[in-house]
Amino acid sequence: MPAVLTVDPRSGVPIYLQIIEQIKRSIALGVLQAGEQLPTVKQLAVDLTVNPNTVARAYRDLERDEVIATAPGRGSFVRADGATESPKVAAEIGGDALDVALREAKSVGLSRAEVRELFETALGRWYDDLEK
Amino acid sequence: MSITITNLRKVYGKAAAVDGLSLEIPGASVFGLLGPNGAGKTTTFKCMLDMARTTSGEILYDGKRLEPATFERIAYVPERSVLYDWMTVEEHVEMNRRAFKNFQAPRAFELLATFNIDRRKRARTLSKGMKTAVMVANAFARNAEILVLDEPTGGLDPINQRHVLSLMINEAAKGNSVVFSSHQIGQVERAAEHIAVMDRGRVVLQGLVDDLKADRKIVEGIFPDVRFTLDGIANDPHVARADRTERIVRLLVTSGADAIASRLTAAGAVGVRVLDLNLEDIFLYAVSPGTATADVVATESSS
Repeated sequence: MPAVLTVDPRSGVPIYLQIIEQIKRSIALGVLQAGEQLPTVKQLAVDLTVNPNTVARAYRDLERDEVIATAPGRGSFVRADGATESPKVAAEIGGDALDVALREAKSVGLSRAEVRELFETALGRWYDDLEK
Repeated sequence: MSITITNLRKVYGKAAAVDGLSLEIPGASVFGLLGPNGAGKTTTFKCMLDMARTTSGEILYDGKRLEPATFERIAYVPERSVLYDWMTVEEHVEMNRRAFKNFQAPRAFELLATFNIDRRKRARTLSKGMKTAVMVANAFARNAEILVLDEPTGGLDPINQRHVLSLMINEAAKGNSVVFSSHQIGQVERAAEHIAVMDRGRVVLQGLVDDLKADRKIVEGIFPDVRFTLDGIANDPHVARADRTERIVRLLVTSGADAIASRLTAAGAVGVRVLDLNLEDIFLYAVSPGTATADVVATESSS
């Protein structure tokens, strides 16, 4: 399990959502691989100094979303199909970020055409011209 | 072990320190009690431990009143030092060893070492933070099922504060219950699963920290003209409070922020934003009288 998992308790984002987001991101980036074991709820709670029930809630949601699986007595693992899931998770993360940006753009009154133009400019900054 | 407090009242003279407090404190978790000075947190703790006689109301441990056998399983760290000035740290450990049958002296010494406390020192020579650390070390060596901690990080440096939080997390992971109060909201935010906010002897807000954060938002909108109407949005049951200045309106929403945001947009607001709140914001809104919804409605009708 990557030691990079951190939470910011002072953020307005619930801690269990921060844990879910980071585990998904780790899978999308291949830091966590299919079949890899996650720390126990207790271990992660102690490592992050957060309530064990908060970690348990994050794990429950990840199980429900079929990202991880828990075998009684053996622990929690990234699901075997986790690797094939990673493009989906990556798309989800990108999509969420775009949603935030578009909500902001709309709230300040930009039109669809204006947003499209901004998007194309930004795209050019981050992606090679050749890449479609 | 879960603790159920129903309608607790504690009156000193004519003043009610606790005035109709009801709380459900679940087992195997960390529960944080927040509140301004004088809110009644310490009195609540004392009533829970039968150290103050309740005026009325009921406190049950797994459905039963506090019995000697239960009392033995509760460790308490009071807000003010109860150490004897003339006794050394290790004499306090010895005193606890004699008083409590599950007390583990080696564990107490281990914790004292973690806190960097010299066991030969007399309590008189200890700083406020060191005294807190001595009481915390003794409490966590009790093998208790319930830990009631009144400001357990008072006067401690950030490193030792974190030690105390880790100890609390460990207890919850073992299935024990921790109830603590703190003015350091960041600590409560990190370690507590449930919280209750007390103000003037009552609970003004309670819930799961993560749920409160997910539900409670500020919805902010700017109107192009100072002459605008909120179309009754401020009266929505999910709007707990509304602050209005010139062209900006800020609504404290208790759930369904996106729906309120849409209504604000429909009412003609631009730049509508939904802002997250951390526990400090949530706490301050809960205890500050501020502008009540009714006041804003009055402003609305007068403009």
